[in-house]
Amino acid sequence: MTKGPDRLRELRERGLLEKAYDRVPALLADEDGPGDAAAAGRLLAALDHDAVLGHHPHTPVVTVAVTGQSTVGHVVDPLRGELARHGMLLRAVVGEHGTYLRDLTDPAGELRAAAPDLTLCLLDAETLFSQVPAVWGPEDVERAGEEALDRCAALAAEAPGTLVLNTVPLPRSCSHQLLDHRSRARLGAVWREFNARLLRLTESADRLVVIDLEPLVGEGGPVTDPRLARHAKVQLGAGLLAAYAREIGHLARAVRGRVRKCLVLDLDDTLWDGVLGEDGPDGVAAAGTLRGEAFGAFQKCVKQLASQGVLLAVSSKNDEGLVLEALASHPDLVLREPDFAAVNANWEPKDANLADIARTLDLAPDALVFADDSPAERAQVRLGAPEVAVVALDAEPALHVTRLLADGWFDTLRLTDEDRARPGEYRRRRERGALRAGSGSYEEFLRALEVSVGLGPPRPHEFARVSQLTLRTNQFNLIGVGYTEAELARRAADPGRLLLVARSADRFGDNGLVGAVLGSIAGEVLRLDGMWLSCRVLGRGVEQACLALLLARARELGLSAVGARYVPTARNHRARDFYPSCGFTPADPGGSEGSADGPVVFRHDLARLPQVPAHVRITETPGGGLADGPR
Amino acid sequence: MGLDSLDVFLRTVRGDLGLDIAVPEGADTALGELPGWDSLNLLRLVALLEESGHRVPVHRLLEARSLREVHTLVKEYG
Repeated sequence: MTKGPDRLRELRERGLLEKAYDRVPALLADEDGPGDAAAAGRLLAALDHDAVLGHHPHTPVVTVAVTGQSTVGHVVDPLRGELARHGMLLRAVVGEHGTYLRDLTDPAGELRAAAPDLTLCLLDAETLFSQVPAVWGPEDVERAGEEALDRCAALAAEAPGTLVLNTVPLPRSCSHQLLDHRSRARLGAVWREFNARLLRLTESADRLVVIDLEPLVGEGGPVTDPRLARHAKVQLGAGLLAAYAREIGHLARAVRGRVRKCLVLDLDDTLWDGVLGEDGPDGVAAAGTLRGEAFGAFQKCVKQLASQGVLLAVSSKNDEGLVLEALASHPDLVLREPDFAAVNANWEPKDANLADIARTLDLAPDALVFADDSPAERAQVRLGAPEVAVVALDAEPALHVTRLLADGWFDTLRLTDEDRARPGEYRRRRERGALRAGSGSYEEFLRALEVSVGLGPPRPHEFARVSQLTLRTNQFNLIGVGYTEAELARRAADPGRLLLVARSADRFGDNGLVGAVLGSIAGEVLRLDGMWLSCRVLGRGVEQACLALLLARARELGLSAVGARYVPTARNHRARDFYPSCGFTPADPGGSEGSADGPVVFRHDLARLPQVPAHVRITETPGGGLADGPR
Repeated sequence: MGLDSLDVFLRTVRGDLGLDIAVPEGADTALGELPGWDSLNLLRLVALLEESGHRVPVHRLLEARSLREVHTLVKEYG
């Protein structure tokens, strides 16, 4: 059970923990189910972050402020372990017992000063029961709940970063102090109304997340340990906190834009019962039999994920013809060939197949999740493609859904229209691929593609998407950082700054919001602080068109120059020459910043403006109002 | 995990809680005097003992003043 922690202990004893921190996710990826993140977190408590960052400078450090109704420090160990499982480092700032209101509202307080990415405010039954008289009835709890809700709503507006609250399970030790069933039912209703209204706060508060503890309690584990609750004011039990920390780990990944985008599935005994090559198309089942029904349920779950923007792909050791035939005509299937952005059915090793799928879909390998029932295939992928997340399925198909959802690989703060449209977009991408194959040259292809671009300020509802774009873009992210929705809104509202977004379309359809430029004007110079372009449209001239338009406008405004900055990261080297290719020159040639792997500052004197690529039609789009973009 | 020996107990606490405890001298140091000790460490110690199969009444652990006293409780309650 504690294999992972044992390995960590071994590394720590050899003084190798910091150097080997990049191996920790693999060490904690427990094939037998959730490992012991709390034990792992405890062992990692004394980790030297500077040393980790010295060895692995791109390790994300997530600052989490923790406060709450009762003693909450207990959540830090499992949280540290969960973040480690996802390759991140936890910087925790823990509030004092019982001071959450002050912690979250005092601008000079430690929690706010830490500028946390996430602020956890753990609520428990005491949040309500500490406010009722010694002898109480359901109406007292109702009143306490209303007051608590008002406080939570105020906190949601005040707290720094993303605030995380939680629904509160009703402990039996409270409900059963009421002896008659009618009062008990009333308490149950009042309690759930509190939780429901808490959950509904997320509809109006942008930076609020409410973790619903009910599904976590439903998975088992007591809500509280009465001994620790009584003696140490620890109101939430270790099992529940571990499950909560797991959810926060997924949330931290989402906040950092480390969301997986594509689910790659095996077929035999993963998506259907049986082995296609041996049993034949008539011998496999995903309905109609006891085991088959379980596979059918799994397919429905996968389809549900796909409807929210998760790309699907197949990696199966099978003959391609047989697979395509089964996907087209097998009567049991919920998922069909068009549901998949890529189908790799062949006899190549699966790590190579995953690399091929990533290439085909223009994704990095760390955007993939691979689910397979075969331990040998999983081991091969873990070894050959360590960036890919692996979901261990087994011979019990009834557990496939639970196992697929256990790690929240695709969890996100908010779904955007672009997310929902993504699978369709990848279908169109295949059509573009066909056009490309039929075109003589790349230029001919681009001309035939009829690319149009609209550049302008974001509309109010688009900030979530812009934030997502900046956080998720790795390749064409010229400064290597991303911004939260709130940060972008703040910058957009600043009269000295500029936030423009690019939407593009082509003959196959709309690509949606694909680019963003952040700038500021100081004196006579427009400074480009950051630029992002979705990898889906790289290589189509969209970025050159946007920059050409920006430079032209800068000259019209009488500015004397445009400055820009490129900060190299592990992933954005292909964008290194972007500014020079548009006529920018290094502002400090030969200076210390011009070194091969350091940041470079560029400048364009606006004397000779770059041309908009001939195949791109670019227009300026109004923002903020009801205008509907370029099309 | 056999924690019957004081040395093994101290080494386990030192290792798992990442504390700088001298063995065996640290056994008698007041908990508040141990470098890096805080109330959270006491709760982690409770969790550590429970994970190792030792069920000592929590209030007694919370009242212990040194690791030797904790160890005595571990032996007393098994």
